Amino acid sequence: MLPKAPESAVPGKNTTVLSIPGSSDRFSTSALMERLPSRWPKPVWHAPWKNYRVISGHLGWVRSIAFDPGNEWFCTGSADRTIKIWDLASGTLKLTLTGHIEQVRGLAVSQRHTYLFSAGDDKQVKCWDLEQNKVIRSYHGHLSGVYCLALHPTIDVLLTGGRDSVCRVWDIRTKAHVSALTGHDNTVCSVFARPTDPQVVTGSHDTTIKFWDLVAGKTMCTLTHHKKSVRAMALHPKEKSFASASADNIKKWSLPKGEFLHNMLSQQKTILNAMAVNEDGVLATAGDNGSMWFWDWKSGHNFQQEQTIVQPGSLESEACIYALSYDNSGSRLVTCEADKTIKMWKEDLTATPETHPVNFKPPKDIRRY
Amino acid sequence: MGTLREILPSPKTSSSTFYDHSSDPWFKERYGGEPAEAAAGKLAGPAKPVPPYGKRTGFVPRRPEDFGDGGAFPEILLAQYPLGMGRRDDKGGSKILALTVDAQGSVAFDAVVKQGENAKKIVYSKHSDIVPKIATADSEAVEDEEYDKEVEETKERTVAALQKIVNVRLSAAQPKNVPTHDSESKFIKYKPSQQSAAFNSGAKERIIRMSEMASDPLDPPKFKHKRVPRASGSPPVPVMHSPPRPVTVKDQQDWKIPPCISNWKNPKGYTIPLDKRLAADGRGLQEVQINDNFAKLSEALYVAEQKAREAVQMRSKVQRELMLKEKERKEQELRALAQKARMERSGAPPPSTGMPVGGGRERERERVDDGDADMDLEQPREQRRETREEREARIERDRIREERRRERERERRLEAKEAAGTHKKSKLTRDRDRDVGEKVALGMAHTGAKTGEVMYDQRLFNQDKGMDSGFGADDQYNLYSKGLFTAQSSMSSLYRPKKDGDSEVYGGDADEQLDKVMKTERFKPDKAFTGAPERAGKRDRPVEFDKQEEADPFGLDQFLTEVKKGKKAVDKIGGGGTMKASGGSSRDDYEGGGSGRSRINFERGGR
Repeated sequence: MLPKAPESAVPGKNTTVLSIPGSSDRFSTSALMERLPSRWPKPVWHAPWKNYRVISGHLGWVRSIAFDPGNEWFCTGSADRTIKIWDLASGTLKLTLTGHIEQVRGLAVSQRHTYLFSAGDDKQVKCWDLEQNKVIRSYHGHLSGVYCLALHPTIDVLLTGGRDSVCRVWDIRTKAHVSALTGHDNTVCSVFARPTDPQVVTGSHDTTIKFWDLVAGKTMCTLTHHKKSVRAMALHPKEKSFASASADNIKKWSLPKGEFLHNMLSQQKTILNAMAVNEDGVLATAGDNGSMWFWDWKSGHNFQQEQTIVQPGSLESEACIYALSYDNSGSRLVTCEADKTIKMWKEDLTATPETHPVNFKPPKDIRRY
Repeated sequence: MGTLREILPSPKTSSSTFYDHSSDPWFKERYGGEPAEAAAGKLAGPAKPVPPYGKRTGFVPRRPEDFGDGGAFPEILLAQYPLGMGRRDDKGGSKILALTVDAQGSVAFDAVVKQGENAKKIVYSKHSDIVPKIATADSEAVEDEEYDKEVEETKERTVAALQKIVNVRLSAAQPKNVPTHDSESKFIKYKPSQQSAAFNSGAKERIIRMSEMASDPLDPPKFKHKRVPRASGSPPVPVMHSPPRPVTVKDQQDWKIPPCISNWKNPKGYTIPLDKRLAADGRGLQEVQINDNFAKLSEALYVAEQKAREAVQMRSKVQRELMLKEKERKEQELRALAQKARMERSGAPPPSTGMPVGGGRERERERVDDGDADMDLEQPREQRRETREEREARIERDRIREERRRERERERRLEAKEAAGTHKKSKLTRDRDRDVGEKVALGMAHTGAKTGEVMYDQRLFNQDKGMDSGFGADDQYNLYSKGLFTAQSSMSSLYRPKKDGDSEVYGGDADEQLDKVMKTERFKPDKAFTGAPERAGKRDRPVEFDKQEEADPFGLDQFLTEVKKGKKAVDKIGGGGTMKASGGSSRDDYEGGGSGRSRINFERGGR
C-alpha cells in the first residue's frame, strides 16, 4: 500500500506531501511544511469512554489479558501467579488457573482450538486445555522470562518473546521449537503475527522494531525510528497498518514495507505499557503513571485523557496500567492495573459532538523526533 | 647385430602396451582441442616464443600466452599470473563500492547501507522515511480476493517450510529411521571405461562387493563437536532519529540521588558528619500533624477533674455535716441517759455524774465535767434535804467514785499509750517485764519455801557420780535443777521435759546409754603408778606411793660384796653408763619410760 499523490494539485507548486519514497526527494522540506496543515485528515468524532466497572479479585498486579473468540469471557494473568477467567457481561470470576511459578506476563486464546496459552517470568510457556482446565503442553526453551506472546492467525504456531532477546517460534501441536528469531539486542517486549509477510513483527527494549520472515527465520526490516523501548504495538484490524508505542511518542506505520506514516499528534510523556485499537479507529494507550489516552487512529488526534483512580486501600503510586485490550466487538475496553483491579470501560453513549467537541489543530510543522 | 628387437623374443602381449591416451576423454579435453585450434589458426603457430633469458628487456608478460609453457619471470618486476594462478580477485574484495545511479538519475547513496546481508532487506535511510505521510482513502481499500489468495499461499508456503524444520527436529529427537544394519553386503557391477585385454584380464565388468566395515561398538566418538562461533548479526541499519538530547542542568539536578547513609549499618566504618547523617533522614521534610482529638481529650480530662473535685468536696461537706448532726444527736441521747441515770440513782436530784459510758475521751470528760458543773449548780438546792445517812452514803459514794475515776484515768492513760504504740501494759505483759527485785517486792516471787518445800543444794546429790557423771559443757548452768520462783506462767517459754525425753534424745533406751556412759573404762588408767598399792576402786585420796630405797649412787654398800667377784678395767667402761634417759635416781623397773629407744641394758659389773 503506497500513499498516492493527491488529485488536486495546485499548479506551479509541488504539493506532494505524500510520498512515493523516491519522489519526495525532489521536494524540499519547506514545501512539505507549507502543505502539511491542510493536508492533514480531520479527526473522526468518537464518544468519550468512561469506566463502568471495577473488578477486584487478583492478589497482585494484573499483567496480561486475552479475550475468548466467542466474546463470552476474558482471562487475566497476574503477578500472583494465577490466571483468572472472568465473565465479560457480569464481571464475575469463573475460574482460576494455577500453575505458574512467577508472574504471568502474556496470554493468548487460540481462535481455532480450545486452548489458552500463557507465558510467565518463570520461563514457562504453557498451553491450557480449556475443556479440562489443565496444562496439556509446555514449551521449553526460553532462557529467561517470557514477556510477550502471540498466536499466528492462520498457522498453528506460537510466538513468544522474552528477556533472552530472542523471539521463539513454537509448533503448537508437537511442542517443537521451530526457530529462534535472533537479532534484537535487548529484551523482546512486544510481538504480533500477521497472515502475510511480514508474518512476525517484534518490538524490543533496544528501541527497534523488526519484521521477520518466518520461513527463513531472518529479519526482513528493522525500524529504528524510536528513541525508547517499544513496549507496545497494535495492529489495526482492518487497515494494513500498525502503531508502536514508546515513551517518546507513538508512531504509525504502513504494513508490508514498514514505511513510517506519522507520529501521533501529542505526547503522553510516560512509559507506555499497552496499546490497543478497535475497528472504529479508536486507539487507546496506557501508561505507567495510570494515564490512559484515547486517540483517533486516522489523524492521530488525542480526544480524551483519563487517569485511573486506584481502588481504596492502594497507594497513589500504584496507579499504573499494565495491559489493555478491546473485546472482540470493539465496544468494551478492559484495562489491567497495578492496584490489582481490572477496570472496564465503555463509550458514553449520551455524549454528542456538541457536548464533547473535537478541538483539533493540525500540526503546523513536522516535529522530527 | 641387429636391433634389439630382433634378438629378443617377441613380446607376448599386444603391441599397444601403453595406455592409449587418444581415447581418453580427459586427454581429449585438454589436448584434443589443440589440433582444432591449431587448424582454426588462433595463434601464429605456437605462440610467440618466450624470449630467452638475457633477452627479456622490455618484455612484459600480461596474457597467459606470454608465459608459454613456463611460469613467471622473476627478473620482470611485475605481478604475473601464469595460467591465471595466484590472482586474489575473490578474497578480501575491494572495500570500495561502485557509485550507482538509479533510473531517475539520482545517486543511490544508500548503496553503502544495502550491502551484503542488507541487500535482501528493506532498509530505510532517507529523510523521507522520517517525514510524516498521510495515507489516503485509496490505500485503505484492500482487495479482498487477492488478499485472501495471498494469505493462503503464504500460509501454505510457510507451513511447508516450518513442517520441514519441525520434522528434522523431531526426527533428530526420535530417530525412527535408525539405519538397519545390513549385514548382507551389496554387490555392484562396475563397467570400467578402459576396456582392453591389458586391464582386468580382458573382462568387461567387475563385480564389487560392498560391505560395511565392522566398527567397534565400544569405540569412543571419532569426531569432536566444536562450537562454531555465531555468524555475526545483520549489518547495522541507519538510525532514524535524532541523537538523544543533552541533559539540562536542571534535569541532572532533579535526578540526583543522595548516597544512602544508614542509621543502622556502617560496614566500612566511615565517619560521617552528623549533618549528613540526619540529612537523609527526612525528618525535616515531614510535617507532623497532631490530631485535634488530643486537645479535646486533655480538655475533657481537665473538666472531669474539676467536676470530680467539686463532687468530692460536696460529698465530704455533706458527710461532715451529717456526722456533726449524728454527734449532736448522740450527745443529746447521752445527756438524756445520764439524766435518767442520775434521777434513778438518787431519786432526789442527783448530785454528780454516774458512770461514764465507754472509754474516756477527753471531750466526754469535759462534758461530764460540764455535767458535773451543771449538777453542782443544782447541788446547794438539794443539800437541805440531806440527812446524815444520806451524807454518809454520799461520802461513800464519792469515795467509790474517786476510786473509779482514778481507775479510769489509769486505763485511759494505758489506752493512750497503747494507741501510741509503745506500751502494752496488759496484765499478762505486765508481769513478764518485771525485774526479779520488783517481783520480790511485789510479793510475786513465790519460791518453794512458801509451799513448804525444802530446797537442797544440788551439789549434795549425786556425789558418787562425780567424775563419772561426765564433764558438762563450760557454760552449762547446772547448779540448780529448777528456777527460784515457782510462779511461772504457763505461757512462758519454759522447757518442759517429757518423761521419756531422754530416750528420744539418746536413742533407744536411755538408761542403757546412761549405764554405758557411767561404766566406761575410758578414764581409768591402764596401769597404775608403780609403787602405788594396787586397788581396784576409785581414788578418793591422792595416790600413795611406797617409799623406794634409793640406790646408793656411789655403790658403797656393794663395794665390798662385789669386790670378790673381781673386776676388769674394761668392764667399768660399759658400766655406769647413762643410757637411760633419766638422770639422777634410776628406776630399774621402770619400763617404757625414758626415751623410746630400745635401751641397751647394761649390767652393772664391777664393784
